[in-house]
Amino acid sequence: MSIISVKDVSFSYNEKKLGLKNVNIEIKKGEWIAILGHNGSGKSTLAKTLVGLLEPQSGEILIDQVLLNDESAYELRKKIGIVFQNPDNQFVGVTVRDDIAFGMENLCIPREEMLEKIDFYAQKVGMKEYLDKQPSNLSGGQKQRVAIAGILAMHSDILIFDEATSMLDPYTRSDLIEYIKTLNKEGLTIIMITHDVNEALLADRMLILNQGEVYAFEATNDLLKKPEVFRECHLELPVALEVASKVESQKIKEKLWEYVLTK
Amino acid sequence: MNSIIIGQYIPGKGFFYRLDPRTKIISVLFLMIAVFMLENITQLSIALAAAIFILLIGQISIIKVAKGLRAIFVLLIFTFVFQIALNTEGKILSQATLHFNLYSVLAIVLAFVFWRILLRLGKFKFLLFLAFVFGVYFILRYVGYGTDFYSFSLTIYEKGIEMSVFVIVRILIIITFTTVLTLSTKPTDLTHGIECLLRPLKKIGFNSEDFALIISLSLRYIPTIFDEAQKIMAAQASRGADFSEGKLKDKLKQIISLLVPMFIIAFMRSEELADAMESRNFVPGQSRTRINVLKFSMIDVYSGVFTLLCFAGAIVIKVI
Repeated sequence: MSIISVKDVSFSYNEKKLGLKNVNIEIKKGEWIAILGHNGSGKSTLAKTLVGLLEPQSGEILIDQVLLNDESAYELRKKIGIVFQNPDNQFVGVTVRDDIAFGMENLCIPREEMLEKIDFYAQKVGMKEYLDKQPSNLSGGQKQRVAIAGILAMHSDILIFDEATSMLDPYTRSDLIEYIKTLNKEGLTIIMITHDVNEALLADRMLILNQGEVYAFEATNDLLKKPEVFRECHLELPVALEVASKVESQKIKEKLWEYVLTK
Repeated sequence: MNSIIIGQYIPGKGFFYRLDPRTKIISVLFLMIAVFMLENITQLSIALAAAIFILLIGQISIIKVAKGLRAIFVLLIFTFVFQIALNTEGKILSQATLHFNLYSVLAIVLAFVFWRILLRLGKFKFLLFLAFVFGVYFILRYVGYGTDFYSFSLTIYEKGIEMSVFVIVRILIIITFTTVLTLSTKPTDLTHGIECLLRPLKKIGFNSEDFALIISLSLRYIPTIFDEAQKIMAAQASRGADFSEGKLKDKLKQIISLLVPMFIIAFMRSEELADAMESRNFVPGQSRTRINVLKFSMIDVYSGVFTLLCFAGAIVIKVI
């Protein structure tokens, strides 16, 4: 049973700028999907259509078996949340507490319940001590955690990260990725948009987009054995995979693939 | 950029910090109307005493309020000069001819230079300014040697002095009230208070919730945008731009080269912010629950009663 199914979706911004072309994907509940592609390949467009920020010109999107359209968008957004690239541009509240509350306020959740949930989810993302802090006193990674808490508090079980780690320093970045791993283990569906193959290797399956079309959508295990796919889409291969594509010995290749996946 | 303080809010724990922002806003409005209804200096001095009393029980330092007055210092001086020069009622207090001649103008220039040098010491700026103004007056009045190339007679009437003191005290009281409000209320609480007070306007199509959200978002983004401006300035300075020197025309060009990228970035930001808000189910105009709630307490009742008494008192005085 797939939680997201995208059927033959096409979207273009205008005649010259194509967004998506006949995209078909099925995503199962609890899966971790990486969407890879270089700039302008349609990754972010796909993410925006999934949360109903952009309406595809043709095709349909079903979330939890419900067709996404103007009327259902409000209900469906409770299930699917998105963390954007720039931590500053999605921080709505004046304090951490206000920001986590923002989504719940929109859902008209009673105040007492909100306060409980804010405590719970702030604890969960490790931001409990920062509830009264203002965004200017937080690091980028902390702001992203706040954004996650705000989405979790709306009871979303699908989380989209639209290059959410790209503006973070390496340390906070790996910290955030570790946290996304635990969320995935708890059963949340993760869709991670990135142009970093290293990051994408964490996913169960990789969706590679090229000029708005699905170039490949396969299990990570299988895809890393096909370095040509990455090269054709202008994606930079991790050194280990680059080496693996050059050596002849099957034994060494397998060692390297194993290394890449466990890293 | 943690050092930017938006508004005049100073954290504290006095009486006014515990008051509900709605009470404070309404009280300030009513007290201001009351002050405008007072008609003579005696009534006004009672009001001034009351204002100082308010400051004292609120444990708000008078020095901080005085600093707030600096902004309107020029306005006060203008009021004073205009009232004295233009009001021609009551008894004549003094009549004098002011002489403009070679000596008096030279003396004024000297006094000016002396004043600017003393200013460098950095203390008693206000007193120095007053001394300079009076100095100019006495020079013009008493340095009457040689031929005047211009002279006029300045007559000061009793009513002129009275009115100027009256107007200045009135402005002082009003500024004190508003300063107490802005010193003791966070900008977010202030907007929240205004939002609640404007809520009845929903009937005529004005949505105060959206209005308040716009204001609090702007407040939220001021430090971010400020940060950005500094980055752009640094980027431009590294390529040779100089914001501090050059002719006015050059400076304007520099400012435009700063403003254009700022605007573009601000637009991009707001677009992303709109996406983020929409994806978290924000629908403009739709009712929402609130995490921050304002609550009236007993001290709000006391303050309300105090304000009403003052207001009623002013009406009674006006009618009698």
